Amino acid sequence: MKHNLGKMIKLFIALSFVLVFAEDFTYSFHLDKQDPYLKEPVILTLDLNQSNHDIVLMFNFDLQKSDDYFFQRLDTQETDTHHNTQIHYVYLIYPLKFGEINISFDLIKKVTTDDSVAYSFSGDRDNIKGLVTTDTQITLPSLPLSVKKLPESTTLVGDFRLIHKFKKYKAKAYEPIPFEIKIQGSGYPPLLDNLLPKDLKFTVFKENPIVNATHSKQGTKSSVIYPMALSSDKSFDLPPIGIKAFDPKTMKSYELTVPKQHFNISKADVNTLVDKIDSPKPLESNESWFTTIFTSLLSYLVVFAAGYLTAISLKWKKKTVPRANSPLKNKIEACRDERSLLQLLIATDSKEFTTSIEKLENSLYGNTKINFKKVKQEILEKII
Amino acid sequence: MNEKIIQLKQELGKAVIGQETMIEGLIIGLLSDGHILIEGVPGLAKTTTINALAKALGLDFKRIQFTPDLLPSDIIGAQIYNPQDHSFSIKKGPLFTNLLLADEINRAPAKVQSALLEVMQERQVTIADETFKIDSPFLVMATQNPIEQEGVYALPEAQLDRFMMKLVVKHNSEEEELEIMRKGASKSFKEVEKVLSIEELHTLQNELEKIHIDKELEHYIIQLISATRDPAKFGLEKIAQNIMFGVSPRASIDLYKAAKAKAFLRGNTFVTPADIGYVIHDVFRHRIVLSYEARAKGVGADEIISAIVETLPIP
Repeated sequence: MKHNLGKMIKLFIALSFVLVFAEDFTYSFHLDKQDPYLKEPVILTLDLNQSNHDIVLMFNFDLQKSDDYFFQRLDTQETDTHHNTQIHYVYLIYPLKFGEINISFDLIKKVTTDDSVAYSFSGDRDNIKGLVTTDTQITLPSLPLSVKKLPESTTLVGDFRLIHKFKKYKAKAYEPIPFEIKIQGSGYPPLLDNLLPKDLKFTVFKENPIVNATHSKQGTKSSVIYPMALSSDKSFDLPPIGIKAFDPKTMKSYELTVPKQHFNISKADVNTLVDKIDSPKPLESNESWFTTIFTSLLSYLVVFAAGYLTAISLKWKKKTVPRANSPLKNKIEACRDERSLLQLLIATDSKEFTTSIEKLENSLYGNTKINFKKVKQEILEKII
Repeated sequence: MNEKIIQLKQELGKAVIGQETMIEGLIIGLLSDGHILIEGVPGLAKTTTINALAKALGLDFKRIQFTPDLLPSDIIGAQIYNPQDHSFSIKKGPLFTNLLLADEINRAPAKVQSALLEVMQERQVTIADETFKIDSPFLVMATQNPIEQEGVYALPEAQLDRFMMKLVVKHNSEEEELEIMRKGASKSFKEVEKVLSIEELHTLQNELEKIHIDKELEHYIIQLISATRDPAKFGLEKIAQNIMFGVSPRASIDLYKAAKAKAFLRGNTFVTPADIGYVIHDVFRHRIVLSYEARAKGVGADEIISAIVETLPIP
């Protein structure tokens, strides 16, 4: 009789609404359970209803992030009337810590006018007009949850089954043996860091698990595939795998198991494993060690001499090329008289030849006599 | 060389080390009443030289720092409404001066650069419905930086043509650089003093008029001008494809005046082909419109001018 009364009280608390009146709106919470097990799904519904219909009211609402719980918004239903805003939120929550935890909320009340709404609608892609609102941070009371501890060594919470698939049990030495373990069912997503026992005497190759999860009001339906491969040079046993699980609905513990597996490994043909392309056999030589060293030394000397001579030849080239290829020098050498030389110097637009230009001018347009060859030589020396 | 010119050069030498080509180009512009465009990378004393010239001449000097948000009314002036007597009055802009330094002219958009067109050519400014004459001498000396591409605007051809010469300023020699470094570090640059009055400048300009230029040289100038417009006619088929437009008639006037000024600076009473050769690059380089092929091949106006001078026989 006592047990029945206790259950009835709990049920009443769980199903009861918390209805609160705030300025301009009312809000109500509903939790489907208040004392869940660790990682047991809890459904939270929240209703925000506008009570002051003279204003345009909007809300920004979400749960606060916390290490104590994981949450997922499942549904939002909102009326599109500006003076009678009604929003219905549904959240799925998984407690991640046992004991007393609090679910906290972020709520911002945004008040605006019809004119502001109309103005914001008048904008377009290239001329965005923001909606001006008066925002008020609302502090909502936290919702307490009394989280129950799981039975000892429980790894998974929910109703799951395990499927294992080994592609082969016979392989050659070091040949990978692919296999996968799939855990599927409903409950907190069955993601495990270490599925296989530690200190195995063979090599295990792992890939990132492939996770598929769908959240709904009934909880989370998920499947996690762990692709792996084993490899060894001799036959070995994969020890049995046992994962302890607990189903909060039935309040019973159970174990997901993979029985011991034996793998037969045969020796591989070494010749087929040797890389003959990138690691060919070293060349065998009939020559004596003296001949080999002498030949190597000689080849090093030849390469060194070639490099040294190339460097020297570049230096020679650097010195000789500009002299041979200077177009101005060639043109100056081709000048046969003072007039053509003067014309060429004027065309160069260089202030270097001012003195020579004056000498040539004095000769051409004045009475001064000059030594043409000498002037030409002076100019050539300036270029060089 | 004229004593006053020597004094002017010495005075400029107090503020500027080296850069003789730029200084001489500015003096040529001053004597010939021609506007000068100076192009060079930052730090080559372009603005310093022009400032020093203004001080040495004791002329009214204004400086406009061209910026992208400059408006034509900021430089020519505007009509201002006076609310007290409900009348409009003219507020004259910085153009009303003798020496105008248009610093970094290519930083302003074309509409502002174009505001200078009337004053550079006609020596007058029109504000609203009123036209004002600018006092003589009036010289625009503009600087531009060729290396920046962001935030600069190319000068319109019509405005470029109004500049008598475009001087390309190059880096100083190592010896000059050493002197700049030492003087700059010890702050021992001397103050430039006035050495030339307006009357003396006018006298020099009158002396310039007396410089003789032979008819053959006049003909030579016309041939040089024509060669930029129709290079094939002068056996310059190779450069024909590099020129989109040759130089304008203003170029022949400016080359004529600049050659005379150069001869004057060299202390001669007559012009020689070398005088023309000394200034032709500065007078022509901003007036030759290069073709797409020339720009694609990296051929510059100076190369084209050199090819023309090299080909046409001097008198």
